[in-house]
Amino acid sequence: MRNRLLLKKGALTGWCFIAIPTLLIFFFSFYPMVQAFMMSLQSGTGIGLSFSGLANYRRLFSDQTFLAATKNTLTFLCFQVPIMVILAMFFSVLLNNRALKLKGVFRTIIFLPAVTSLVAYSMVFKSLFANNGVINGILLRLSLVSEPIAFFSSPFWAKVIIVLAITWRWTGYNMIFFLSALQNVDPSIYEAARIDGASPLKQFFNITIPMLKPVILFSAVTSTIGTLQLFDEPMNLTQGGPGNATFTISQYIYNLSFRYTPDFGYASAVSYAIVVMVIFFSFIQFKVGGDDT
Amino acid sequence: MKKVSLFLVIFVLGVLAGCGSESSTSGSDAKETSEGQEITIWAWDPKFNIAAFDLAESYYQEDHPDFSINVTEISQQDSVQKMNTIFSSGGTQGLPNIVLIEDFRIRNFLEVFPEYFVPLTDYINVEDFMDYKIEVSSVDGEQYGMPFDSGVAGVYLRKSIIEESGLAITDFHDISWQTFNTLGMQVKEATGKPLFSIDMNDLAHLRMMMHSSGYWYTTEDGETPFIDGNPSLKQGFEDLKMMLDSGVITTHNGWDQLLAGFNSGDVAGVLQGNWITPSVKSEDSHSGDWVVVPVPKQENIDTSVHATNLGGSSIYVLDIDGKEEALHYISEVFGKNIAFYEELVQTVGAIGSYIPAAEGEAYKATDPFFDNQPIYQDFVTWATEIPSVNFGKNTYALEDIMNPVFLDYVNGADLAEGLKNAQAIAENQLN
Amino acid sequence: MKKVGSYLFLGFFTILFAFPFYFMLVSMTNPTVEIMQGKLTPSTHLLENWRNLRATYDIGRVFMNSARISVLQTLFSITIASLAGYGFEVYQSRAKNVIFHVLLLSMMLPFAATMIPLFRMFGSFSTTIPFIGLDTVASVILPTLSTAFLIFFFRQNTKMFSRSLIEAGRIDGLSEIGIFIRIYMPTMKTTYAAAAIITFINSWNSYLWPLITLQTQEKQTFPLLISAIGAANNPDYGLLMVAIMVATLPTMIVFFSLQKYFVAGMLGSVK
Repeated sequence: MRNRLLLKKGALTGWCFIAIPTLLIFFFSFYPMVQAFMMSLQSGTGIGLSFSGLANYRRLFSDQTFLAATKNTLTFLCFQVPIMVILAMFFSVLLNNRALKLKGVFRTIIFLPAVTSLVAYSMVFKSLFANNGVINGILLRLSLVSEPIAFFSSPFWAKVIIVLAITWRWTGYNMIFFLSALQNVDPSIYEAARIDGASPLKQFFNITIPMLKPVILFSAVTSTIGTLQLFDEPMNLTQGGPGNATFTISQYIYNLSFRYTPDFGYASAVSYAIVVMVIFFSFIQFKVGGDDT
Repeated sequence: MKKVSLFLVIFVLGVLAGCGSESSTSGSDAKETSEGQEITIWAWDPKFNIAAFDLAESYYQEDHPDFSINVTEISQQDSVQKMNTIFSSGGTQGLPNIVLIEDFRIRNFLEVFPEYFVPLTDYINVEDFMDYKIEVSSVDGEQYGMPFDSGVAGVYLRKSIIEESGLAITDFHDISWQTFNTLGMQVKEATGKPLFSIDMNDLAHLRMMMHSSGYWYTTEDGETPFIDGNPSLKQGFEDLKMMLDSGVITTHNGWDQLLAGFNSGDVAGVLQGNWITPSVKSEDSHSGDWVVVPVPKQENIDTSVHATNLGGSSIYVLDIDGKEEALHYISEVFGKNIAFYEELVQTVGAIGSYIPAAEGEAYKATDPFFDNQPIYQDFVTWATEIPSVNFGKNTYALEDIMNPVFLDYVNGADLAEGLKNAQAIAENQLN
Repeated sequence: MKKVGSYLFLGFFTILFAFPFYFMLVSMTNPTVEIMQGKLTPSTHLLENWRNLRATYDIGRVFMNSARISVLQTLFSITIASLAGYGFEVYQSRAKNVIFHVLLLSMMLPFAATMIPLFRMFGSFSTTIPFIGLDTVASVILPTLSTAFLIFFFRQNTKMFSRSLIEAGRIDGLSEIGIFIRIYMPTMKTTYAAAAIITFINSWNSYLWPLITLQTQEKQTFPLLISAIGAANNPDYGLLMVAIMVATLPTMIVFFSLQKYFVAGMLGSVK
């Protein structure tokens, strides 16, 4: 009954609220996206593009570089998103505890990586994990290894470094989303649970998580999109190497557009391949997340 | 409803305010003066390339006092991105009059967007320039680029470390990579230091080796991938692996680590184009201890010489307003001015590709940092021997295909098979 | 015991997280050669690096360029996105949900793919509506003025906004937009703060589109400047680190000033 009242009153107003933002997106995002799609149906170099139907898309399936990039990107996805969302949630809950001192300091420091410049932190990561870097120094000192690990020359370790770098950089960023949402949870709910004898762990699982579901979904979807479009870290830390070990789809798009002879038609097709993957994963997450829309 | 339209008004006002605070109007940057125009240039590195343009400006202003340049400092990567975007959109807005482009990249542009570039054929005397620099930017007999810095390479070595190992610098002259490896092992044994380092994500050293023998990733036409059956490429792979395995060369990750390696003394030398000289000189405590020797040649390859090139760029004029003025500026200074080139090598350290200037006194100068070796003269002598190679428009694409092959090979995979696969992929991917 | 555990855990991660930042700070005071060697202790070159930077680049102007763009972008973007997020959530209807999900699609295509069409679009503005054409502040802001990302963010957070507050507002005689401004906005302060931080940082650090649309050196923003400095054959790392620090300061300040809104406790509730 209440819902219908709300709806009747706000029917037109609702549209007014969303009108301008929606139109802006249609104009500045969808229109170029459609044009990009048109480009993906053409092939050729530079301006000499001619219609070629689905040829570009067919090419994707036999393109070894694309397949390698896709494998890498999906691998990153599987590890990155859960790690980041869980860690961010964990930090936000810890830092939401009223009794904890120095909250502001901790929050700021965990958020710092998100504002640290790409150039600076890639220099640091490269030097930390260098053959004669600090990490190897510690590992040798603790006798955990007998020889320095060549992090950047190993396909496995290079991937690990990328995951570490992304986690380092974006956890604080995601933590913000959770923190801001936690503020809107009524502490009296926790009070009531505590009085009922629920342990903090139980409170976390039975109260916090369900209340945070919308934000968890948001964080998961946006992290997924971000990881599928991963570019900065592989580009700056490992240049997609060693070999193709950390080469991502976005890097391929960049190479196709700017490093090799520009083939924007094919680059657009590769971009749309990402779109397909994103839609797929987001759809799953929305369904699992039980989004009621 | 009212508030929504209020927001709309604020939005528009905000946009206007944001734009109103612009000091200049959008559109062409070239400002007209009564006699000439201000020429816009895109280049990177204030101490090297941009310093050269500024120096050239002062020479040109002697006869054309109203002339001035406006250099936008922009990395090569960024300027390539911008140019590709602008060219692909079909317009010219935002393009500079003059742009500096790396030699490896230029054919991408010349073969795909030739209409944007102004031919310099009538403004340059091609015989005055090093062959291999001229060839890079000539298409169908028309010359498009004014060669700028020669990327002629040399092996830079620390004299004290070599001598500590019981060797003499002369031992490194006119040798093959095999011999280089043997000598390097001696150095490694005596001092523990490798002779130079390579970046595993970048096959620059392979390129240098192939170039010294007149080969490339493609056949002479610049189009057909020439991977399987390319003797120079195979030899290059084998030589590099040999040196990595023996410890004669080591690896670095990223530019700053390359510099840190030889500046700190952890690495006994460096093999790059001569534009690495300022970086080598930045470590004062090494003064007098560096020398440069010719690059080794590839054994078993007849055409191999002790000279090669890495990098280097040329100057291009774009077909927009102001091109006449830009053409004159480029051709009168970079095209013929010997005094300019002499001052260039003395103050900036850039070795131009203009042969007549190389016969001047400035190039014969000895450099105390390099134990009084006349390095500029050495570089120029080597430069004249560099074979001409057609880089084609797919250099970077091919290199990206070859990189994993090299890595696998270094880690023990079969080379012959790797090369066959790469050839197939290359033929498949490149049209 | 649990408290100690918390502090240890946080302390450990704090050191991990802050380390690269520490490196930046220390590097600012070191000469270039030492930075390349990864020196971790400070020296006395800060003033020299700063002077080199000031002498070579007009930092003040770059700062103003970045600031102008980021502030405008943040203010407008979060206003627009919050209106939409509120609209989609509070006035739900099947049609609007469809539109919402369609809007999400716009997040899914990598920006690089739309760059050329956008460039062409703004190029045509240059001749018809010059003040939003290429090389203007508006051109930098417009493509991302309204983003599905922020709308999505506001919508999800609006789910936690109590509907009874709206009822209360209506009973008090407020108009719909009045409810939005007087009740929703103050209640959702933390959400706005988070959105402002994120938008400001994204805008401040944005690289690709400003690179393409801005054409004169006078309009350069920080990321472009830093990219150019780092591109030299022999970069002056001391100068670069100071530049990076100057570029990073505003984002830190914005974060500091807005993070107090993440204070535990209820802000606004039904009495």
